[in-house]
Amino acid sequence: MLSTFTRHALQTLCSTIVVLTTPAHAGLAVALNSADGTVSLIDTTTYQVVGKEIACKEPHHLLPTPDDSSLIVACSASNQLVFFDPKTGKEQRRIRDISDPYQLGFSPDRKWFVTTSLRLDRVDVYDAQTMQLKGRVHAPRTPSHLAFDDDSRYVFVTLQDSNEVMAFNLATMRPEWFLPVGATPAGILMSPDNRYLMVACMGAGHVEIIDWREQKTVKTVPAGTATHNLQPRGDGRHYFVSNRSMNGSIVLLDTQTMSITERYDVPGGPDDMEVRADGKELWATARFARRVQVVDLTTKQLVRSIPVGSSPHGVFFLDHAGRR
Amino acid sequence: MIQQFLDAFVTVQGWLLDTLVQPPLLALGLGSYIELAFDGVEIFMWGVLQLLVALLVLRPLETLRPLERWRDRKAVRVDLLYTLLDRLGVIPLAVFALIAPIFVELEGWLRFRGFIPPQIEDLLPALERAPLIAFFVYLVVLDFAEYWRHRLSHTFRWWWALHAIHHSQRQMSLWTDSRNHLLDDVIGGLWFAVVALLIGIPPGHFIGLMLVVKLVENLSHINARLSYGRVGEQLIVGPHYHRWHHSLALPPGPAFRHGCNFAVLFPVWDWLFGTLYLARDNPPTGIAPNTVPGTPDHDGFWRQQWDGLRGMWEALHAARKQRS
Repeated sequence: MLSTFTRHALQTLCSTIVVLTTPAHAGLAVALNSADGTVSLIDTTTYQVVGKEIACKEPHHLLPTPDDSSLIVACSASNQLVFFDPKTGKEQRRIRDISDPYQLGFSPDRKWFVTTSLRLDRVDVYDAQTMQLKGRVHAPRTPSHLAFDDDSRYVFVTLQDSNEVMAFNLATMRPEWFLPVGATPAGILMSPDNRYLMVACMGAGHVEIIDWREQKTVKTVPAGTATHNLQPRGDGRHYFVSNRSMNGSIVLLDTQTMSITERYDVPGGPDDMEVRADGKELWATARFARRVQVVDLTTKQLVRSIPVGSSPHGVFFLDHAGRR
Repeated sequence: MIQQFLDAFVTVQGWLLDTLVQPPLLALGLGSYIELAFDGVEIFMWGVLQLLVALLVLRPLETLRPLERWRDRKAVRVDLLYTLLDRLGVIPLAVFALIAPIFVELEGWLRFRGFIPPQIEDLLPALERAPLIAFFVYLVVLDFAEYWRHRLSHTFRWWWALHAIHHSQRQMSLWTDSRNHLLDDVIGGLWFAVVALLIGIPPGHFIGLMLVVKLVENLSHINARLSYGRVGEQLIVGPHYHRWHHSLALPPGPAFRHGCNFAVLFPVWDWLFGTLYLARDNPPTGIAPNTVPGTPDHDGFWRQQWDGLRGMWEALHAARKQRS
């Protein structure tokens, strides 16, 4: 990561050159550059950066609205949610006074919108229609990623620095239980059958499988150094797991056997991921390398490395695989 | 060319992170600090680059066009130690580790009760879409605050006892910039943190702001005949301007009883607040005898630190006696 001033100057120059020389694009990928406060727009056909939009201060995660008509960018240092058109990458609107949103998610029943404040140890619950604050809980320490059960009864939050998963009851708006897990839990997802939570534990280098109804860990699956995040392949069975170190990798977790079945070398600190609808490509932001990496899932090789901005975090395209 | 530089920079940064920093952090259960550590590695790398520029460009300039000729440079050695500790990130990291938890607690407490700290963009929303201009505005506000911090450190006797370490150098050179009492560094860090909280400076900007300030400060202490030109000298603090701030004898007049030319980056503050002093000659630097509590004229690092604390204690004790 370079100094903000230098970064902006260099990137303005780079993106101007790119925009002037790149043809029109078909599909669009959006990558958040969290240290630059921008989004890079990438043509998914040519793999070229075709534009850059200014977003806000420290955008970390993004989330499509349930109907995919907007892409919500959570701007932690601006206290805003910025809505982008996922087809054009242009800004649609802003919601202000959302305090320090880091990670974000809609409950499956679309009733609740939940944000975590990683830096300030807090979880906020908003009415998803009106964006009015309905619940707030102190969540020490370092609430990071979140997942819901299918009935929208709970939101489960990883607490990175207290090595726990918190179950927050959305009916009572109170934490119901805390479960100790491996060191530095980050990414968390619900299994396709709504039975297990899968938690990526960075410090432990494994994925922890939790029977959330029984509140116990049933298995740990070693994944690699700095196991950080999870993304469904879209086939209802397999999940990609990113190991976020400079010399990093992404592995494939089979949820039927609860074992790792494939491994791809993805350097640069792979973090958030997105899978193409046809299942042929996996895209991942490389946090430490200022790049978005593309893995060909047929050959299992890294085939593209696209230069973007500093500390790229969230990535999204409309033509994505299912979320289970 | 630009992309090659960026790639080379982040490759080295990532290698240092992966090899030296990440393994102990993960082993100690401090995986949450990896992103912060990545920024820390960047500060270290910029420090190394700054030191290289200082050695290869500025130091030869001092030899070729010296303002003062010294019999030997023994008195400068301790300043080199201060510079290494400062530029390689040791002092900034220690100050950050001391201050950050306090401010996180404070901000977390305020935010939990619904208070969102103001941001300069609330007053000037156009800045949201102009990050380069926003960076410059942060710089101006920060420099305004630095002017007053600096001026007050000359006004209060207990604070002056600490800051006098910086002024006690009679052989002022490019290395003098970092020569400060550690407690003065902590106070400076607190001051910066309050300003950052009040105007909403995103943490991602800290490194860029620090680089600009350090570059100007490095040059303003140089022992070389270096001029920014008639206009340039009015716009930005240079060696001649700042030399009068370090002058052994204060300029005449009540306006200068605590000193003159307190500005760090932009002389406009001295002009606005009546502390500007312009003269053609280059005065000798240092502190006149009996103007500081304690005796801050020793060469050793620890001796200087002790002298500063003792001087501060004497000043506070004398003030208390005077009141009673």
